Amino acid sequence: MNWSLFFDLTVSGLTLGSLYALIALGYSMVYGILKLLNFAHGDVYMIGAFVGWYTLHALGGPLNPTISGAAVLFVMFIVSMLGCGVLGVAIERFAYRPLRNAPRIAPLISALGVSIFLQNSALLIFGASFRDYDTFDLIGVKTFNVGQLFFSVTQLLTVVLAILLMIALTIFVARSRLGKAMRSTSYDREAASMMGIDVDRVIAVTFFIGSALAGAAGVMFGLVFGQIYHFMGFIAGLKGFTAAVLGGIGSIPGAMVGGLIVGLAESYATGYLPQGSTFQNLYVFALLIAVILIRPSGLFGKAAIQKV
Amino acid sequence: MRRRASAIAALLALGAALAIVAGAYATPEWAAAPAAQSGSDAASVKCGKTRTIGFMAPITGPAASIGVQQNSWAKYYVSTYNRTHKTKVRLQTEDTQLGAPTGTAEALKGAQALGGSSNVLGLVGPAGSNEIVGVTKTLQDAGLAWVSGSSTRTSLTTDGTRTGYMFRTVPPDAIQGPTAANYIAKVLKYKRVYIIDDQETYSTGLADAVERVLKAAGVSVTRDGVSQQQSDFSSLIAKVPRDTQLVYLPWQLTPKAIAFGNQMKAAGKGSVKLMGADGTFDDSFAAVGSHVYDTNFPLNPKSKIISGYRKSHGGKGDFFGSPTYAAVQVVATALDKACANGTATRAEVRAKIRATNIPAAKSLIGVTIRFNRNGDLSTAKKFGLYKSNGNIFVPIPG
Repeated sequence: MNWSLFFDLTVSGLTLGSLYALIALGYSMVYGILKLLNFAHGDVYMIGAFVGWYTLHALGGPLNPTISGAAVLFVMFIVSMLGCGVLGVAIERFAYRPLRNAPRIAPLISALGVSIFLQNSALLIFGASFRDYDTFDLIGVKTFNVGQLFFSVTQLLTVVLAILLMIALTIFVARSRLGKAMRSTSYDREAASMMGIDVDRVIAVTFFIGSALAGAAGVMFGLVFGQIYHFMGFIAGLKGFTAAVLGGIGSIPGAMVGGLIVGLAESYATGYLPQGSTFQNLYVFALLIAVILIRPSGLFGKAAIQKV
Repeated sequence: MRRRASAIAALLALGAALAIVAGAYATPEWAAAPAAQSGSDAASVKCGKTRTIGFMAPITGPAASIGVQQNSWAKYYVSTYNRTHKTKVRLQTEDTQLGAPTGTAEALKGAQALGGSSNVLGLVGPAGSNEIVGVTKTLQDAGLAWVSGSSTRTSLTTDGTRTGYMFRTVPPDAIQGPTAANYIAKVLKYKRVYIIDDQETYSTGLADAVERVLKAAGVSVTRDGVSQQQSDFSSLIAKVPRDTQLVYLPWQLTPKAIAFGNQMKAAGKGSVKLMGADGTFDDSFAAVGSHVYDTNFPLNPKSKIISGYRKSHGGKGDFFGSPTYAAVQVVATALDKACANGTATRAEVRAKIRATNIPAAKSLIGVTIRFNRNGDLSTAKKFGLYKSNGNIFVPIPG
């Protein structure tokens, strides 16, 4: 057993999985409330990465930041999360809310339309060129060794921050008044409305939080992997969606675990399976199909009883 | 209900996965639906004061970063030409979306549009070898000749199916591959090489060519591949043994190679040499470090054209697009000749392209532009080899 390779793959998988988990949360939260597959979510993540890049450059760029590197990172995350949150609310308001009572296929098509709209808008506004976060210049190439475990500061930052965000979300949903309203709306939107819950507001908040998490994931991606481009949301969104389904769509813990599983599966497939790096997507989606066949509602999902 | 929703979701995911796989691996011949433009081959067109050149490039989509370079160089030729000639040329552009799941279909649509446009007498592009296979029948039916500035798959010109129609201003993989491999094996004398293709036909073809020569020279070669869409190389890098001497990256997208180089450094493998190919020939890749090598189309480093381009493009070289300049030059020159009497047919333009003879002094690529019977440059016998000095690529003498 090559333990060095195993640890490298595990660190890589956890890093990637943390990003997928954050994206998956957005899919899951929206599905939980609206039963809508928000296929524009991957592109919100892409916009988040660009907002982070522009914030970085507004603060002097990676070589000559006007404030300390840590402060730059903090501002990048905040601005990106806020920006994506607002974008998510706007998408819900203009693309999904008018279709709330339409057949379920209508908002799905609308979501695909928003996705293409965002992709092409990004191409128009940001251009086709890749943008470089220049993380090395911003925070240096710091790496840590614990025995054969080898990880960089950006990988550590990504995993820790993702875990903190997921814990914060769990506490928010479980303990806050608004979180309770979200759970009620998810359980029965009509009944929640009759009980005086402002369903529109709850849905808007759900989109805000889900999109803000995607924005954070976008910045993390730029920091860890260096480069961003207008098409990056497509595959990442698909993997996030896979993670959400794997964990049980609609389930918040499921999205987190699903994300980590997809990230680790992708990493181990690359490292250990024949032509793994070429066919990693095949292995990841095969895993999804296998899990769904054995447990159709996903790992944490519950089979719903339908009244007839 | 949730059970059904999950099943639907799984099916959607499967469908999406299949779409990705199909997009990446589909052989595009199926897409070459006949678009007969009967009669267009011999139809005489009034040339007028402004001549139209069809232009196909990936303006959007995953490979837009290289399409933008081709577009910039093509437009640079047009602006130069229009400043110095009484007659003018214009580009009629079709976006091929190279690398997107629908890429080849988009290229076909573009070819049909240009083939059906009677004022288009010659064409520049497409960028990708796969795209060329997909649009061949359509363009041939329309009688259009095309000059590509980047498709390097050797068989495109040697299989005999495009003779007289397809020309290119870049040497094929059969020249680039051995140039790189011989340098690695005979000059650097490396024994452990890791080759990673980006799963596109350009890349796999070139990787095959290099692998073949290296193995014949007794070099231990490990072959791997990674999707062009991917930016996370950490798992792949984990597989690269620390005693590897060189990683060969015949990739199309420079930014991906930069990301790979930076992630190698972050993984503590920054001392492993990297070698790119023409697709990654850009100063930004050289800036990854002085351990970076590259091969590129033959270019004249002292060319005034290159310095003029740099001047008008904020110092950027955009070298991947430079052969497209030569391609537009070939078509525009052929149009000038075919239009000498005021009218021209596509057949005449094909013949004039076949007879191209642009002297080295006016050529961006440093040699006379002349085509052999297959449509390949008869004057470019090898690729240039370059090494980074830390910021830019400098030619390796010899």
